Amino acid sequence: MGLEEKLPSGFALTSVEKLAGYMRKNSLWPATFGLACCAIEMMAAGAGRYDLARFGMEVFRASPRQADLMIVAGRVSNKMAPVLRQIYDQMPGPKWVIAMGACASSGGMFNNYAIVQGVDHVVPVDIYLPGCPPRPEMLMDAILKLHDHIGHEKLGVNRAQVIREVEAAALAAKPTHQLNGLLR
Amino acid sequence: MAENPLVPTSGEFGLEKAAAESAMIPNEPPASFAKQLQGFWVTLRAMFKKPNTVQYPEVKAPTEARFHGRHQLNRHEDGLEKCIGCELCAWACPADAILVEGANNTEGAQFSPGERYGAVYQINYLRCIFCGLCIEACPTRALTMTNEYELADNDRGKLIFEKEDLLAPLRQGMLMPPHPMYPGSDDGSYYRGEVTGSHPSQEPTHHA
Amino acid sequence: MTPEALTEVEMITVVIDGFEVTVPKGTLIIRAAEKLGIQIPRFCDHPLLAPAGACRQCLVDVEINGRAFPKPQASCTIPVENNMIVKTQLTSPVAEKAQKGIMEFLLINHPLDCPVCDKGGECPLQNQAMSTGRGESRYEGVKRTFEKPVAISTQVLLDRERCVLCARCTRFSDQIAGDPFITLNERGALQQVGIYEKDPFESYYSGNTVQICPVGALTGASYRFRSRPFDLVSTPSACEHCASGCAIRTDVRRGKTLRRLAGEDASVNEEWNCDKGRWAFKYLSSKERIATPLLRGADGELHEASWPEALAAAATALKGKRVGVLVGGRATVEDAYAYSKFARVTLGTNDIDFRARSHSDEEASFLATAALNAKTTYFDIDKADKVVLLGFEPEDESPIVFLRIFKQVKKRALSVVTVAAFASRGSQKLKATLIPVVAGNEAAAISALEGLTEKSVVLVGERLNESAGALSAVVELLAKSNAKLGWIPRRSGERGALQSGAIANLLPGGRPVSDPAARVDVAAAWGVESLPTTAGKSTAEILAAASAKELDAVVVAGVDPLDISAEALTQLLNTYVLSFEIAHSAVTAIADVVLPVAAITEKSGSFLDWEGRPRAFTKAIEESLTRSDLRILSMLAYEMGTPINLPSVAATAREIAALGNWDGAKASFTPAKSNKSLKLAAGEAVLSSWRLLLDLGTLQAGEPNLAGTARPATANISQSRADSLGVAEGEAITVSTARGSITLPAHITAMADGSVWLARNSDGSQTIATLGIVGGEVVSVVKA
Repeated sequence: MGLEEKLPSGFALTSVEKLAGYMRKNSLWPATFGLACCAIEMMAAGAGRYDLARFGMEVFRASPRQADLMIVAGRVSNKMAPVLRQIYDQMPGPKWVIAMGACASSGGMFNNYAIVQGVDHVVPVDIYLPGCPPRPEMLMDAILKLHDHIGHEKLGVNRAQVIREVEAAALAAKPTHQLNGLLR
Repeated sequence: MAENPLVPTSGEFGLEKAAAESAMIPNEPPASFAKQLQGFWVTLRAMFKKPNTVQYPEVKAPTEARFHGRHQLNRHEDGLEKCIGCELCAWACPADAILVEGANNTEGAQFSPGERYGAVYQINYLRCIFCGLCIEACPTRALTMTNEYELADNDRGKLIFEKEDLLAPLRQGMLMPPHPMYPGSDDGSYYRGEVTGSHPSQEPTHHA
Repeated sequence: MTPEALTEVEMITVVIDGFEVTVPKGTLIIRAAEKLGIQIPRFCDHPLLAPAGACRQCLVDVEINGRAFPKPQASCTIPVENNMIVKTQLTSPVAEKAQKGIMEFLLINHPLDCPVCDKGGECPLQNQAMSTGRGESRYEGVKRTFEKPVAISTQVLLDRERCVLCARCTRFSDQIAGDPFITLNERGALQQVGIYEKDPFESYYSGNTVQICPVGALTGASYRFRSRPFDLVSTPSACEHCASGCAIRTDVRRGKTLRRLAGEDASVNEEWNCDKGRWAFKYLSSKERIATPLLRGADGELHEASWPEALAAAATALKGKRVGVLVGGRATVEDAYAYSKFARVTLGTNDIDFRARSHSDEEASFLATAALNAKTTYFDIDKADKVVLLGFEPEDESPIVFLRIFKQVKKRALSVVTVAAFASRGSQKLKATLIPVVAGNEAAAISALEGLTEKSVVLVGERLNESAGALSAVVELLAKSNAKLGWIPRRSGERGALQSGAIANLLPGGRPVSDPAARVDVAAAWGVESLPTTAGKSTAEILAAASAKELDAVVVAGVDPLDISAEALTQLLNTYVLSFEIAHSAVTAIADVVLPVAAITEKSGSFLDWEGRPRAFTKAIEESLTRSDLRILSMLAYEMGTPINLPSVAATAREIAALGNWDGAKASFTPAKSNKSLKLAAGEAVLSSWRLLLDLGTLQAGEPNLAGTARPATANISQSRADSLGVAEGEAITVSTARGSITLPAHITAMADGSVWLARNSDGSQTIATLGIVGGEVVSVVKA
């Protein structure tokens, strides 16, 4: 990803991870991706009463080149999906995605041909945020959970190790159509 | 040549009038330095106002009492579940977020008063739009909404809440089902509010 | 009713709500109104049951010749007449008020159970309370309560509080099924549906009462609280159990079949089906279902394998080898056709047989001639002057045929003759004349039958082949009397498999293998140079050859070896076995390659019922990933290098249609003689047996509620044998062969003295597994 990836791995890596995580999580720059009603709540979160500036992320950048967090706020139509993906691709790494609200998370009540049934069909999502729309506190809760996640992100060989483990777990997982839960 | 009706004439839309009005605004320099400072007065005044920012993660402002938050499956006063697995909430749900399967209450395993209880109860919070139609549909007031809203998660699977995630905690005097109904009562007595707590004979000693 | 019958009927014109409508004489007002599109609310009225006028919900104002009835009348009991003027709730305030009043009465004691009631969402009472009832109840008293629910059998639950006393269930049991176990008890406000104390509601048709109950008073134990109508995706289907050919409706939720209902088909099952067809479907979602191909490894164990692996292994094992194919009796027409084509084209053999049961060469000849050309239908039973049952118990082996005969017995005392070991409960209900025979002597009894005309219907069960010469006697009888023949196998796929040529002596469309012209015909259609000419083997011969290593491999598709003989499984041990199965079974346990196939709800296709009528069905579980037999056979044939080109069910059906039926020279029947003369010593008898409807069949597995109503197995003997053994009714007797013995309570009934009868596959009475025989052999009978 960045310079930190080039750092020599070894005994100091854990401390480097902590430092990099601390810095990264306190300087997120969100890209504007307000698509529908959720965007109003996202704007409210940026305004005085909720004040995202407290977390160092008051500036929503209109250019993806200057952003590393995409808050997909609203329903993504199939026509919007390639645009969304392009913006995501244009963002420099490391980058994160929050699916804000039911529509971005799963399509919500719009279970129809026009709406992407969950934005994770298009981009990898780090945090799913329920709500229709979620109130600004809920968005901040999601952002804080993401902060926590970023703060503990691994680097270098540790990261490669984590990726291998996740991949192995995904391969071993039972397919969703075989998951029964409590169903008889 | 006939005039094209689609092209606005200069008289339309009040364009001429607007031009005349803007020409009337005097564009003069400010009268004095004090006048210039007047604009900063607004900013200065705001600096001494109490900030209206809610310090969210540290301070959690209470929501309105009727805020639509996470659902809860309530219990009768003796701990039996109110849900009868009728699926009316699932029917009412516009987002198809609820899945219910009913099952038989048996003599050895009574979860709710009467014959039927909800064996499977899932709410998919990725779909749920918190509209509350399920609450209106519920015939036994088993399903209500709490004010809890911190639901975000990084795993889709964890956002499908199962029955045990949704059930209300046991309050004083409640027993964990399955246990028999209050002695001498039928399901009607529960709905009439005649059961106000558990009875020692309901304790599931002989079922354990 | 046939079209020619319609023309004879007198037509009557009535005025309903100001509109004239002309209907046949005898039509009820409620149905004449339906013809105009006027819906009169009703509960007790059912087009297939006699009018009862029990619920009074259909009250209308009626006027004849200018004279009005003083009070509103029940439109479901009054036939139309000339000069009749009817005013329904749409035009008559009196009728509307009367209907609302009745609805209020019905609801007074009806509990507010809708949220927990299985009928909620598809309930006529719910719907009509919305359309005809009041918004708010004026009743403030205490509702009448009963104990709920009462299990009137293991599979039907009765909730008397909900009952509106429409008498649909009791009328059905009495008029349609002939099992009046369920009646209305008490009178007045206490009137309630009940069962006789000593007789539980053990009808084979009890599920229909659940379906026609207009409220939730009768519910099925298996479907209880499982789902809601709005959750279910319904697909019209065909029943896979027997050859009756019922139309059914399959209701699926989340990829799982939750219930099945009788479908409507006036020419086959009307609106009914049997409990087996309704409730025996748990095998579809059993834990034993196979999801992936299985391949026997070097360690001798079966291991999960990928499709390409399994197909490659099977192809290598079968290619260029001598292979026999056992198809089984529940393949669809298209699947059976694929097996037939696979055997002839890819394997180059005629060694294919669908008869996974007792069989004979005489039968093969009979099937290729008489049975294949039989055109008897349910309508012929309706019009018959006499019905003869040969080796066939309709209630146990084809329940809808039983209902059809029973309807005529009830209506016009149709004469029924049965040649059987004893008069079963079904025969008794049909008031059949019993010609008792000792198994093996059927031929003589059949030859002695008299009084048949061309309107008579002779129904031959598949079991008749167990008696040598009996089928020859049938052919003779038919030639003598011109009576109509119906061959009724027990399984749904047999008629279709016969038509598709999944038998050694026939190619698809009834073309005889022995006829060179027929072979050329099929070879041209299939685009191959020639078809195998050597005579093929029957099921028993295939098994014997496999055991003697004269065959290198056997393809076994959905066959339970215990249906064939006690030795069938051991005969397969010596050979390479390729198994097509839906679930783990005795065959998959010894198979070298197991290929999982789609069950009935997971594929489309068609059956031919005993009439030869196509019963097409579509996939009920859309998201299923399983493949049908023909798809796998196609892949396998492709892998083996000689493709059969059957990519889909639709393409196969098109190919079958294009091939058509054989119009060349028909095969001729080769009669066989009855050659057995059994000498009986004291304490010996000849065994007869047949399968009861509800027994230990594989497809009934996993449904204890259904099994709870299976009739208990008994050993039936005659009075004189009982006297000589010194046993009374219900005392245990032991029936044994050298292989084993069965001890059951004796049931004394009218039957030939030389005979003893056992259920073939019931709990505690599995004749093939225990005794090693199905019948026609000498067994010893002693007091236990």
